[in-house]
Amino acid sequence: MGQENTSIFTEQSATEISEGDFPAPARNKTPYILVVTRNGHMAEPVMDYALNVAERLKYSILAAYINTLPFYRDGGRRSKLFAAAMLESSKLFREKGEARSIPIEHTDASGKIGRAVKHLCHLEKHIEFVVIDQGISMKEVSSQSPVPVFSVIYTQAKAGRVSKTTHNRTLNEGVSRMSTTTSKKRHVKNCFIFGALTAGLYAAVFTNQELVMKYFTKGGFFALLPVAVVFALSYVHGNFTSSFWSALGIEGSKTTATKKADIRKDAPASVDIRKDTRPRAQVNA
Amino acid sequence: MHGPVTEVLQFIDLTTYTVVFLFIVGFIGGLVSGFIGSGGAFVLTPGMMSLGVPGTVAVASNMCHKFPKALVGAIKRYKYGQVDIKLGLIMGVFAEIGVQVGIMIQRHILEKFGPAGSNLYVSFIFVLVLVIVGGYVMRDAIKMKSAVGDAVVTPPIAKRLQKIELWPMLTFKTANLRISMWFLIPVALATGMLAATIAVGGFIGVPGLMYIIGATSIVASASELVIAFVMGLGGTLIWAYYGTVDIRLVMIILAGSLFGVQLGAIGTTYVKDYMIKYVMATIMLIVAVSRFLAIPKYLNQLNVTSLSEGIVKIMTQTSFYVMCFALLVGAGIILFNLFKARSLEKAIPVPVRG
Repeated sequence: MGQENTSIFTEQSATEISEGDFPAPARNKTPYILVVTRNGHMAEPVMDYALNVAERLKYSILAAYINTLPFYRDGGRRSKLFAAAMLESSKLFREKGEARSIPIEHTDASGKIGRAVKHLCHLEKHIEFVVIDQGISMKEVSSQSPVPVFSVIYTQAKAGRVSKTTHNRTLNEGVSRMSTTTSKKRHVKNCFIFGALTAGLYAAVFTNQELVMKYFTKGGFFALLPVAVVFALSYVHGNFTSSFWSALGIEGSKTTATKKADIRKDAPASVDIRKDTRPRAQVNA
Repeated sequence: MHGPVTEVLQFIDLTTYTVVFLFIVGFIGGLVSGFIGSGGAFVLTPGMMSLGVPGTVAVASNMCHKFPKALVGAIKRYKYGQVDIKLGLIMGVFAEIGVQVGIMIQRHILEKFGPAGSNLYVSFIFVLVLVIVGGYVMRDAIKMKSAVGDAVVTPPIAKRLQKIELWPMLTFKTANLRISMWFLIPVALATGMLAATIAVGGFIGVPGLMYIIGATSIVASASELVIAFVMGLGGTLIWAYYGTVDIRLVMIILAGSLFGVQLGAIGTTYVKDYMIKYVMATIMLIVAVSRFLAIPKYLNQLNVTSLSEGIVKIMTQTSFYVMCFALLVGAGIILFNLFKARSLEKAIPVPVRG
C-alpha cells in the first residue's frame, strides 16, 4: 500500500516513460496546480475551479487520480472501474482545458493520498499549490504536502458555483463513491440476481408443499428447518427488496444519513465522564 | 409449555385470496414496523384467524415472520447509523424473560377465569396501555412539532435516571447515553410481557426507550427492531419445537413485509423526530378504540353485561376493521411524508456541510 507507482498516461504514453522520470517540469517552465482526486470521476466544480485559477495565474494543471485501495479484495473490479472512470474523467478535463487553452497533464498513482501528493510535489518541482477533490482528508494531505492545500465545496445541483474553502467532506461511502454512474446498474443487477434466488426459494418450497409441511411441522429438532429457511429468505429476499427500491431510485436521504453517522462517530466524546471525587494528596512547592 | 402438541393441527389450503391478503397485510405491517420499530403484527394474528388458520398456528406463524422482518429492518437502519446493537441485545434478552413471565401470567388467568376471562384481560391491558402510552406519546409529538428549533431534549425522567449511579452502569454509544442496567430491566421485562399478551411489545418498548432510558425516537424505534429480533427468534424456536409454524404462510407474509420494512426504514431518514412519535401514537390510539369495541363480547360471555347478539357481532366486526384502518392510516402517513420529503429534497439543492 505504501509504495506509490506513478505514471503519466495521457500526454505521453505510459510505456515511453520509465518510473520516476517526469519530463514535464523541464519541458514546461510554468508553475503547476496539482489537482488530486481519489474518486474515479473528478468532480466538475473542482475541475472548473482549478481551470479558473490556472487561467488567471497562467499556470498549468497536473491532475492526479490516486487509487487508494489498489488491493481491494474484489478481484480487481474496483481497480478496473477506477481506471475506466479515470479515462472518462481525464477526457472531460482535457476538453475543458483545451477550450481555454490551459495545458493539463494527467497522472495516476496508487497508495496513500498524503504520500502520493508528497511524491508528486517532489517530482514536479513547480507545483505551487494543491487542490483536493471530495473524499480526501485535508489533514492527511496538508500534513505531508510541502505546498498549500485547498479544497472546493459546491452545491449538488448548481455545480458551477464554487467557493474556496479549507473544508473537506468526510468519506462515508468508501468504495462506492467512485462510480456514480455504475451504482444504479449494480442495483439493477443485484435486483435480478437476488430476485432469481428468492423466486427459486419460493418455488422450491411451494412446489414441494406436502413434503415441506410434513417435515417442517414435525417439531423437535425439525424446528431448525423453518428457522433456517426463514434466515435464508431474509438474506436473499432482504437483499432483493433493498436493491429493488434502490434500483427504483428510492433510497435514504443522503443528508440525514451522513448526519446520523456523524452522531454515531462523535458520540463517545459527548457521554459525560464521571468526575473523579477521590481524595488525593497535593503538594505545594 | 406443555409437551408436544397432541391434537392434529389443521393447516389451511392456500387460495389466491389468502395469498393476496397476506401479501398486502404483510407489506403494510412491514412498512409500519420499519418506521416505528414494531406494529403490524397485531393485525396479522386476527387476520390469519379470519382466514380459518387455527389460533396457535396463527400466533406461531406471526412470530416466525416477525424476526426475519426485524432482522432485515435492523440491518437497513444500522446502515443509516440509527441502531444501538448493544442496547437492543441487552433489552432483547430481558424482554425474552418478560415474554416467559407474560405467558405464565396469561396461563394463570386462563386457568382461573377461562378463555373469556383471559380475552378480557388481554383486551383490558390493550386498551389501558394504548390509551395511556399512546396519549402521552401523542402529546409529546404535538409539543415537539410546535417547539422552535431542532434540538432534541432528553425527557426529564430519563435525565434523572441517567444521573443515578447504580452498578452496573452501561454506556450506549449510538444512543449516546449512560444508564444503570437496573432501569433497563423493567422496561425490557414490560416490553416482553406486553409482547406475550398482545403480540406488539414495541408499544411499550419504544416509548420506554424514549422516555425512561432517554434515547431519541429514531434510535429507540431502530433498536426496538433488535429487541423484536431476539424475542421473535426465541419465540419461534419454541413454537417450531411444537411444530406449529406454517412456513408457507410465513413466506407469503415475508414476501410483502420485507418490501415494506425497507421502505419504512428509508422513510425514517427523511422525517423529523416527532413524526415517528406521531405515527406511533396515531396507530396506538386507533387500535385502542378497536380493542375497546371487542370488550363487550367478552363481558357478555362472562355474564357481566347482556347485550344482544347482533350488536356484539357488529362491534366485533367493527373492531377488526378499525384495527386494519389503524394500520392503513399509519402506512398512509409514512408514505405521504416519505414522498413529500423526497420531492422537497430533489427541488432544493443541498449544500455540502462547511
